[in-house]
Amino acid sequence: MKPVAGMDVFERMVADFAVNELAGTRQENDRYPCVPLFEDVLAKARGVGFFSAMLPEELDGAQMSISELCMMLEEISRVDASLAAVIFTDTFAKELLYRSGNFESASAALARGNGSFGPLVAFPSHSDPADCGTLGAEPSDTGTWSVSGEVKYVVLGSIANGAVLPAGTKRKGYALLFVDLSAPGVEIGAPVASLGLRACPAVDIAFDATPATLIAAEGESAACYARVAGRMNAATAAMALGLMRGSFEEALAYARQRRQGGREIVNWSELRRILARMAVKVKAGELALSRAAEACETEEPGWDLAAQAAALAITENAVEVTTDGIQALGGNGYMEDYGQEKRFRDAAQVRTYLGLAPVRELKLMAGILQGDAPF
Amino acid sequence: MVASADKALLDREPRFDDITASLASTRSLPRGVIAETRAALAMARRFNEAVVKPRARELDAAKKEDPDYLPWEIVAEANRWGFYTMFIPKIFGGGGVNLGALSYVLEEIGSGCTGIANLIGVHYLGVATLCGSWNIRVMNRVFRDTVEGRESGEPCLISLAITEPEAGTDVEEVDLVSKAKVCCHARRVEGGYVLNGRKIFISNGHLSKWHMTIAYDDLSNPAESVVMLAVHNDMKGFSFGRQEHKMGQKACPASELIYEDVFVPDELVAIDCPQGRTYRRAIKELNMQVIDYVLSGSRAGVGAFGTGVARGAYEEALRFARETEVGGKLLINHEWAQCILAEMYKNVALSRLSYNETNYANGMYGLFKVLQYKPLFYYLKYMPQTLIDRFIQPLLELPVVTWLFRKIYFDWQKDEEAQRTSGWASISKFASTDAGIRNSQLALELMGGAGVRCDQGAEKHLRDAKLLQIYEGTNQLNRLNVFKCLIARSIPDAVVFED
Repeated sequence: MKPVAGMDVFERMVADFAVNELAGTRQENDRYPCVPLFEDVLAKARGVGFFSAMLPEELDGAQMSISELCMMLEEISRVDASLAAVIFTDTFAKELLYRSGNFESASAALARGNGSFGPLVAFPSHSDPADCGTLGAEPSDTGTWSVSGEVKYVVLGSIANGAVLPAGTKRKGYALLFVDLSAPGVEIGAPVASLGLRACPAVDIAFDATPATLIAAEGESAACYARVAGRMNAATAAMALGLMRGSFEEALAYARQRRQGGREIVNWSELRRILARMAVKVKAGELALSRAAEACETEEPGWDLAAQAAALAITENAVEVTTDGIQALGGNGYMEDYGQEKRFRDAAQVRTYLGLAPVRELKLMAGILQGDAPF
Repeated sequence: MVASADKALLDREPRFDDITASLASTRSLPRGVIAETRAALAMARRFNEAVVKPRARELDAAKKEDPDYLPWEIVAEANRWGFYTMFIPKIFGGGGVNLGALSYVLEEIGSGCTGIANLIGVHYLGVATLCGSWNIRVMNRVFRDTVEGRESGEPCLISLAITEPEAGTDVEEVDLVSKAKVCCHARRVEGGYVLNGRKIFISNGHLSKWHMTIAYDDLSNPAESVVMLAVHNDMKGFSFGRQEHKMGQKACPASELIYEDVFVPDELVAIDCPQGRTYRRAIKELNMQVIDYVLSGSRAGVGAFGTGVARGAYEEALRFARETEVGGKLLINHEWAQCILAEMYKNVALSRLSYNETNYANGMYGLFKVLQYKPLFYYLKYMPQTLIDRFIQPLLELPVVTWLFRKIYFDWQKDEEAQRTSGWASISKFASTDAGIRNSQLALELMGGAGVRCDQGAEKHLRDAKLLQIYEGTNQLNRLNVFKCLIARSIPDAVVFED
């Protein structure tokens, strides 16, 4: 990651936070919803400014650059990507509100406060908003809107004050709306049991003529989403990189001390090759993400394509690295007592952010074929 | 002269006999095997619909809530359906269905839930372990208990207890175990052995009554001092330790077994060095032959699990593609999705072919060869069980019967036959289990956020699939076994397990 002044101090703070607040209770927190949510950790994360990460100070944000956000998500994901996932979705949703120019529409909801960890905003961050056919939005005569239907897998929906949601209207395309989740007609389902990122809660939500505020109409919403999602691609790559690092580090430490066949297993050349390939993917990911984050910061021509490509490559590599990360530990790698199986599950789930990977590949190619920017 | 020239050509790598087990089987395989396999697969499909699919996610969730939960009701159900005795030979009172059909059954059940497939498959790992000793008297004793368990409604499962805290990969190869730090000691005493030590990661441990325990007479020389003992839950000094908290295959427990001065009488010693020394191979080679008999059967079974999980992932992905619109049209009508689904289908098909080829090899040259000898196959098929129990069973107690089976299986098995079955079993194991992981990951590519939900089924296949690349020998060890069995034998300078 390209050094930013003061970033090394921040990086150490984040790394220390992850180790001190997450490492010891990772296995227990991962049992959510069979155990309570780690609200105390969320409160501490809020206290050190991890939420509202990219919002300006006047909106109670930390005003982080994309590079700083990526660094933070990577460091946290090394230890427990579930907290990184909470930060990611909240940041994504608040960026959509802010970049649409309609942040004040959420002010009342966010001012309500929310326990110890403060106001969060939910969003269906694994979906492509263009495939949002299950939620419809209707305008009223007074200029307000209402939404009806269902949205599946709204991340943070059970603990957030409000949600940014894509909805279909009578016109082509989709609109983005903000819904206060305490409004009438909102039915929040039980926590959805998931493969990974389990301590980052997600729910299905049904809406029945629920009041909503339009933050980006059809025609504007796609551009608004694309601009924010462009940066969020780098953020997903950062989480994937953190998972890879954590997996490689644990595999290497284990291989140095576990003995089979009369020697440490790191001295069996096939395992050493497996570790080498993991290391290569970690280093390549670090370099790709650094370059992609830099492109996002300066908005150089083709920055969004760079971020898309980095996300696709790094999240795919993370799936492979975390698979090998279990393999390096043998039977122990499969057990919940060790960190590898959680990283494997989390990496598979991070891969599904922002829609189906093959569709994102096709969008990347569409961008390249358009030829507006160099690639 | 032409014939000998042909032989020389066909003995070059890849050797004709190694690549034509299925072709060779066509002349010797009893036709009755086909009808048996159909019936077994139909039964497995009914079990899948009636028991597995309705309960798979519920079992998974139950284990998440209570890590010490044990699925006794599923074991009782599988017992009631006859799965635990179906493949035990009729001479021991079992159903006598051909062992090749077991792989089809395991694939079928694995397509619904690999954990439940393991509840059945691992019992047959215990059966295969005891078979590897060819101690017919002990086999009769233990297998009859399982048969009694079917009749009484009290399931009697058999586990294989081999893995130890410091010896995982090591215990599956004599060249590795010779350098291993093992702890399970079998001390010779009058009338039997006294067993002390611990075993870990034992599949079905807490659910089993018999544990085929691999111990060592001399802990400083384990490769040449293997002792296989049939240990029962009721034996004094035997106890269960913890259950492991696994990522997947949660229906099947992985158990710790603890042995504290457990006395095992001679009549339950399946094989030890004094018994093994009467055969032609050196004791270390004989121990490897026993391991290879077990693994040649069991690794085909894991190949079937891999095929099953690959198929389950494909079926979930196909269902989702048929029901879901992406970009305004059904996902199944996107060309790129069609290519992914075809790739997944291919992975399933090739995996199935590999376990079948392994089982043909086992039938011709390995574990099942006596049972697939046509006269014996039909004799046992049509002989009433009451007559078998009355007239044949007493003969199984005679030492000469064990001697004969060991002559056939130990002395008369050629080295290349052992290499063929062992090598093919490893190919099936790592190819199919890699396919299982690949298909599970492709299912998530296709399903995206829907795929990570536990109520959709795809994510469970991914969690279940990963263990298949690890147990029954890691896929890395299995690759080395293929090199050892099918490649290195033609290369005098090649050395395996040295680096």
